[in-house]
Amino acid sequence: MISSLPRETIISIVLFAMVWQIMSYLAPSLGIPAFAIPGLGRIAESLTKITPLDVAVTLGRVLLSLVVSFVIGLLVAVLMYLSESLEKYLRPMVRILMAVPVVSWILFAVLWFKGVEFRIVFVLVVVCAPVFTVDSLDNMREVSRDLKQMIRSFRPTPLQFFHKLMLPAITPGIITSWKITLSLAIRVVTIAELVGAVTGIGHQLSVAQELFSVADVFAWTLVLVVLLFFLEALLVRLETHVLRWRA
Amino acid sequence: MTAASAPIEIAQLRKVFRQTTSGQSITAIDHLSLRIEPGELIAIVGKTGCGKSTLFDLLIGLEHPTAGSITIGGKTPYDDFNAFRGKIATIFQQDRLFPWRSALDNVKLPLELIGIADDVQQERALTWLKRLGLEKFANAYPRELSGGMRQRVAIARAFAVQPEILLADESFSALDEVTANELRKTFVDLAREFKSTAILITHQLEEAMAVGDRIVVFGKSATLLADVRMSDWDRADYPLLREAIQNTLQANVPDARLRR
Ligand SMILES: Nc1ncnc2c1ncn2[C@@H]1O[C@H](COP(=O)(O)OP(=O)(O)OP(=O)(O)O)[C@@H](O)[C@H]1O
Ligand SMILES: [Mg+2]
Repeated sequence: MISSLPRETIISIVLFAMVWQIMSYLAPSLGIPAFAIPGLGRIAESLTKITPLDVAVTLGRVLLSLVVSFVIGLLVAVLMYLSESLEKYLRPMVRILMAVPVVSWILFAVLWFKGVEFRIVFVLVVVCAPVFTVDSLDNMREVSRDLKQMIRSFRPTPLQFFHKLMLPAITPGIITSWKITLSLAIRVVTIAELVGAVTGIGHQLSVAQELFSVADVFAWTLVLVVLLFFLEALLVRLETHVLRWRA
Repeated sequence: MTAASAPIEIAQLRKVFRQTTSGQSITAIDHLSLRIEPGELIAIVGKTGCGKSTLFDLLIGLEHPTAGSITIGGKTPYDDFNAFRGKIATIFQQDRLFPWRSALDNVKLPLELIGIADDVQQERALTWLKRLGLEKFANAYPRELSGGMRQRVAIARAFAVQPEILLADESFSALDEVTANELRKTFVDLAREFKSTAILITHQLEEAMAVGDRIVVFGKSATLLADVRMSDWDRADYPLLREAIQNTLQANVPDARLRR
């Protein structure tokens, strides 16, 4: 994977690492406490102590929430597509949902629900599902009238209409939505995990913060970023496969 | 293929559209009565906007008549939507293929909707691609095919369901002349071979005269200006016929020479 990165990317990462290392040497003489900018060696040490279980737990929560968001989001979009009056009622609600800050959702979740897992999934779903809904609805509306007429002329059942035409037609849009919600979910999950969770990357970040370990925070953050990049790369591969008819 | 068995009966048909933006009404079809016998090949000519495609929408069952009726074997295409599954097929001006499906899978689409067995679908779709000379391109995506080839796939898709009624709305007018003539001939030959009722909408009189057993001339709002049976005319009189129809189209009143 690393060999496929463009040269500029590698150079900029190496440059960043060098600047960081120099800063960590200079920190004491600049009056910055040594723990604030730990050296690369110290960070590498923290990386060896990454617990795979926490990574897996966070990944599991993200994927589960995204699947739930996708199913709910698409279902609501289909209902809104079928009924104009339902759309008029639901659209403002969806927009309000999207305007609420993540932190508010987390506080609501803590106040409303007991189960830690449920709280996390709730926050992720309430943040991601509206994205799927709005995107899918827009994409369905953009499906060519010509193609709709064509398939209707062969008299599909309503289910066939969605299965044979709408779903494949909005697949490119759905993949784009997955990319957006994936990076959204990865960033939101850690905040959600800060509250009450005893596992997961967010929990480990809060532990690191209590121990004043910048190296640990750095290491866990790095894991998160790499995880996101990895998942995005998987999505891109899926995309090129599914959308090979476009090439 | 099922030979067409029932006539298409159009009686006092009216279709009015209410423009959602301006609130104005447009009478696309005004009291049209027409009877089309099973197995007939009809060409419809008329100026742009005279309601030809609207008539197809009503025949297909996409639109509901404002008044009057269309019945085929006692059933109406709009109300008895499911009764006509597999019985009517349309070839549009653009190929309207699914870009995400291969040529073969595009031909399979209507067969999937009818719900026949998978292996029959595969076999029949392949047979039709072969008949249209596209067996080598069965797995090609539409973007890899030329316009003429794509329209061939669309023709294969229409015939694959073995429809009793075939509708072609300017199906060949977007193609170059040579390809258009070739595909038109294929279309007519196939329609005759399988005794389907076929209705072809066209802007070109030449095309109408080359194809139809009968030429129906529409005026504004699909008023019936002329209904010409080609068998009533000698080949030698075709230039006269062409002139008379042209005159009818232009003046929007029937030319006297067409009354036979
Ligand atoms: N869905 C619709 N809503 C409103 N008006 C419509 C609709 N469909 C057709 N019309 C109007 O009805 C009239 C007839 O249209 P139609 O498409 O049937 O004409 P046409 O004979 O097929 O024309 P062309 O030769 O240009 O294809 C036009 O004035 C058109 O604007
Ligand atoms: Mg038209």
